[in-house]
Amino acid sequence: MKLYERLMTIDRRIIYGILLAVVMLPLIFPSVVKVTPMSPVEKLFTAVDNTTDDKALILDCSYSPQIKAEVEPMAIAVLRHAFKTRKKVLVLSLYVEMIGLATRAINQVVEEFNATAQTYEDSIIYGRDYVFLGWQPPPIVPMLGMGESISNIYVVDYYGNETDTLQMMERIRNYNDISILVALSGSRIPISWVAYAQNRYGLAVGVGCTAVSGADFYPYYQTGQFTGLMVGMKGAAEYEELVEANYAVKGRRIASEAMLSLTYAHLAIMLFIVIGNIGFFLHRRKK
Amino acid sequence: MKKTIPLTLIFIAGLLGVISFVIPHPSYQVYDEWIRNDLLRVLSAFAVVLALGSLLRVHFDKIRRKRKNWQFSWLLLVAFGASAIIGLFGGVAADGILPTTIGSFPFDIQTLYENIVIPLASSMFALLAFFMASAAYRAFRVRSMEATLLLGAAFIVMIGVLPLGYSISQHLPGFVQWILNVPNVAGQRGIVFGIALGVVATSLKIILGIERAWLGGGE
Repeated sequence: MKLYERLMTIDRRIIYGILLAVVMLPLIFPSVVKVTPMSPVEKLFTAVDNTTDDKALILDCSYSPQIKAEVEPMAIAVLRHAFKTRKKVLVLSLYVEMIGLATRAINQVVEEFNATAQTYEDSIIYGRDYVFLGWQPPPIVPMLGMGESISNIYVVDYYGNETDTLQMMERIRNYNDISILVALSGSRIPISWVAYAQNRYGLAVGVGCTAVSGADFYPYYQTGQFTGLMVGMKGAAEYEELVEANYAVKGRRIASEAMLSLTYAHLAIMLFIVIGNIGFFLHRRKK
Repeated sequence: MKKTIPLTLIFIAGLLGVISFVIPHPSYQVYDEWIRNDLLRVLSAFAVVLALGSLLRVHFDKIRRKRKNWQFSWLLLVAFGASAIIGLFGGVAADGILPTTIGSFPFDIQTLYENIVIPLASSMFALLAFFMASAAYRAFRVRSMEATLLLGAAFIVMIGVLPLGYSISQHLPGFVQWILNVPNVAGQRGIVFGIALGVVATSLKIILGIERAWLGGGE
């Protein structure tokens, strides 16, 4: 077999094996890689940070298990930021299959904070600091309906409590009392938030999305319809960096730990593309 | 009649949906609120029941006729039944009438979701990286000027979004942001305009009864 043929026909098992090794090794021996936050993530961080005491932020956890690796660290980072700075948080999911992931993220961060809390005031209390609204189909109903009344749409929360009876909800009635909605999703849900909730009620929308859908969202970020944008694992790592740098919140930084895997995986894929093209050039020259 | 009623309904529903965005008068908004918050929710509840019924019918039928891979339909039905019973009677926070632990082994809906659904779905999606790497190696060839530009931009973005990009040059991440913010947005915006016009045209055709494929039943 000639050299160019060898270069162009590497066995796919070799490619899979090398990719597996470069992804797994940094995960087996994790280390946090420092990242430099870029402007889209900084803007989102600032918008969450600027939530005043009389307002709340909504976290829409509409991400499925398939994209959990990329988007769950975003949910955890935003919740850590919000709880550390004592922002009131409303959590919801627009689809039922995502409820479990939202529950998981909330439980993890609440446990982290309450494990170190000394007093009742320090603790993160359900109903006082956050409310889990759950799921209300179809998505257009909460998107538009919360503009008029949140408790009319979510009459009871995920755990069956009457939303109106919760302490936090006394002052949070509709989008006028919401500083920003952070939509975490791998689909076009954030665009629907803009189309319905922002156009009609002026709700500020921030986004956390997968790397593949990031390019689709830049037009909305450029126009200011998205206040800020976290794209992929790197976006999550940048938000983690901002939370730790500004508020010294300690906790496992999953996205930052995965940066090495991501780096090596990108380099491996690029290397394979280069090898394939060298073979292609040699073959073309031969012809 | 079979076609006239659905066509009339879609015409009225479509028109009401559009009008609500252009008539901000409170009296109409109250009516619009009722349509969205009450009627739409009732309709979607029916849709869920219909979808579940349809799913069960398809799989029962597959088992009865012993169609290809009919055994997997049993798996679906058992998983469906088990999760429905545990979800309905076990409660969302394991606080229902059905006990959701055997000794120290929990099987409430959240535990099942975290230990079965999440790993299965994540694993399936993770395989994509391997296929993408293999496909990129085999298919990404610099055959033309356009392909060269695409490859060049892809390499710059792939490196620039990594922490490595900042180490190579402090300006590289900024350049990547420029690629995403300017050339990418220019292309994306053109596509979005095209899609939006297509959606408007298709919606109008459906509302006015010109497009009838959604009614089903072929001719």
